[in-house]
Amino acid sequence: MHEAHARTQDAHFRAIFDDLPALVCLLKPEGGVELVNRCCMAFFGATCEEMATWTLADVIHPDDLAAVAAAWERAVATGSTYEAEGRHRRADGVYRWWHMTARPLTHRSGRILFWCLVQTDIDERKRFEQLLAGERCVLEMVAADVPLPEVLDALCALVEESVEGAHCGMLFADASGRTWRHAAGPGLPAGYRQAMEGRAADADAGPCGLASRSGAPVVVHDVAADARWVPRGWQALALHHGLNACWSVPIVSRGGAPLGALAIYRHTPGSPEPAQLDLIGRVSHIASIAVERSQHDAALRQSEAFLAQAQRISSTGGFSWHTVTDKITWSDQVYRIFDADRAQPVTLESIMARLHPEDGPAFSEMLQLRRLDGGDFEHEHRLLMGDGSVKYVHVVAHATRDRAGQLEYIAAVQDVTQRRRSEEALGEARLELAHVSRIAALNAMTASIAHEVNQPLAGIVTNAGTCLRMLAADPPNIEGARATALRTVRDGNRAADVIARLRALFSNRATASESVDLNEATREVIALMLAELRRGRVVVRAELAQDLPPVLSDRVQLQQVIMNLLLNASDAMSAIEGRARRVVVSTGRDHDDHVRLAVQDVGVGLEAAEVERLFDPFYTTKSTGMGIGLSISRSIIESHNGRLWAEPNDGPGATFAFSIPRNPRDPGRASLGALRSRTPRIAGNA
Amino acid sequence: MTSDRALVSVVDDDESLRESLPDLLEALGFVARAFSSAEQFLASDALSQTRCLILDITMPGMSGPDLQEELKRRGHAVPIVFVTANGDAGIRPRLMHLGAVECLFKPFSEAALQAALAAALRVR
Repeated sequence: MHEAHARTQDAHFRAIFDDLPALVCLLKPEGGVELVNRCCMAFFGATCEEMATWTLADVIHPDDLAAVAAAWERAVATGSTYEAEGRHRRADGVYRWWHMTARPLTHRSGRILFWCLVQTDIDERKRFEQLLAGERCVLEMVAADVPLPEVLDALCALVEESVEGAHCGMLFADASGRTWRHAAGPGLPAGYRQAMEGRAADADAGPCGLASRSGAPVVVHDVAADARWVPRGWQALALHHGLNACWSVPIVSRGGAPLGALAIYRHTPGSPEPAQLDLIGRVSHIASIAVERSQHDAALRQSEAFLAQAQRISSTGGFSWHTVTDKITWSDQVYRIFDADRAQPVTLESIMARLHPEDGPAFSEMLQLRRLDGGDFEHEHRLLMGDGSVKYVHVVAHATRDRAGQLEYIAAVQDVTQRRRSEEALGEARLELAHVSRIAALNAMTASIAHEVNQPLAGIVTNAGTCLRMLAADPPNIEGARATALRTVRDGNRAADVIARLRALFSNRATASESVDLNEATREVIALMLAELRRGRVVVRAELAQDLPPVLSDRVQLQQVIMNLLLNASDAMSAIEGRARRVVVSTGRDHDDHVRLAVQDVGVGLEAAEVERLFDPFYTTKSTGMGIGLSISRSIIESHNGRLWAEPNDGPGATFAFSIPRNPRDPGRASLGALRSRTPRIAGNA
Repeated sequence: MTSDRALVSVVDDDESLRESLPDLLEALGFVARAFSSAEQFLASDALSQTRCLILDITMPGMSGPDLQEELKRRGHAVPIVFVTANGDAGIRPRLMHLGAVECLFKPFSEAALQAALAAALRVR
């Protein structure tokens, strides 16, 4: 009964032992096989007796043999638990990864009776780990800018390592997509690789063409048996190189565009296991990353080269300025513009040191302002170069925020020295021309006035002489003398009329027929005078009211006034050094339906006593002026029924402003022709 | 009596001088006639009797120098004293060169006029 029970138990034990999903062995103390389970026999394809004659070298992959043997010897020597990992050769010759662990079964005396060895299948995990390591290695190559062919070769090697007995190759289409351009695959027969380059990439030209075109894997189990590839000659080519199976997957860009195909070739017919298909799918994805990265790099390098070239040609550089850290980054061209040493760090101080001393204050003031308001800016300043020459640079900066929300400027800096020089020359020529034409106009006007006044003066002198003679005659010709005296009076009035009309010409010419946008008129004047103001290193800021209504006025005359005020402001600051020469032109609504324009400078300012005299004709504080600008300006503004005034600022400088009604009620008219009018006849002349 | 006194003709588009100068010339002992244009003068009977012509330079229609030219062409060698309200002294030498006796700039003095008239009558 007991015996029967023990036999039953033994049978149960044997069944469990055989069915364990692991390779289980009982080993003799020195290592020989004593007992193996059925799984084990099935894997190795051998009986227990056959296995008893094997050594480690008969089952362990040669690459793993040394490590496994060492672990085993150590366990035997110390009697401690044995643990190792290694590839075992399966009955069909394929190696799979196993984890091995063995514990000694000891007699009460401590002697080792058997080793109980349990081996578990870790092939999937191991291959996955290997693949991951391989992928990481390739991705690191991509990141390290290793040339694309090397990266692709490494990928092929990775596949070949993971798939027993396989050759891996990749094909990439040219720009047209019709021809294979680049073929990778160091393990492929060289003749096959070379033959594929330049071959058609059509869907019926080969499995890779079909995979690439269809976007799906193509498995050719047995090349010799697959009639699809006969017509275009791929079958013969593959068979010629001993390639009897081909598994191809497409290589697709991130955007879904076909780039090429990856293929595994084998010398024996067969189909991939799902895990293998999965593997080559992953590798083709890495290949697409590598190819796209390489294309992007090439595009980036080309665009960088373009940019550098464009910067050189246009003398424009780019830079960034982080307002919190004050970190400044320059492009090559900025180094060239500043003639700076690339080895030296760029700092605000080093930039300030290069600035023309006269432009320093305005520059720092501008930076200070930008740190606070964070607005886009345009600025022009001069650089004083090492050889004493002066460069003009124009900066256009755009404010951005970095990830931390801190203000950073991205800017373009252009060397505008040439342009500025030409503008200066042009400006000088224009000024000269303006001066000459002003003198010519003045001469013509003087001649015209002289002519009109000399006529009655001639009459007056002649009449007076005649009158004296008539009175001196004996007897005196009283009647004649009276007539000549009357004519004298008339000619005197006539001369006075000429002067009156002349005044009217200046003071009462408003046509008041145009609807004028004062802001626009102001902007035009500023644009017109920008070069002139720049020459005086004057910075103009326009603060124009948004809601300014149009005024009924003479646009050109108003612009003359604005121009005159701006020129006066510029002149008033010509001696200012050490601070920015700034003019603020502002517009706004004024009470009683008036609009107002003010020009504020930071120049020499005004004495209270001279404020009223300013507007007198021929009053001037300047060595070069004629002193008629403000007088004429006031005439123009008064002809618009407006008011022009000046006042000292609280700080340095003065403000000139005018205010005009939107609709002047009394539009006076006069013209040059009105100067010549008929002289009224005096009754009673001869 | 009338035939003793020389006829001085005044051609000027400006009324002030045309009205004032004849009276002065009369007071100076001349016979004077005034014309408002060169054309009016040419059309009158004064042409042949004029001993001296006081002629404005700038006039609408025929100008002073035009009239001078026309008189030369017709063979009338009348001494001419130009008067002008234009202050440009540069014109004087040119007119003198063309045969004018004098060129007076308005307003001119009585003495300058008398001197010019004397010179004109001497030429004759």
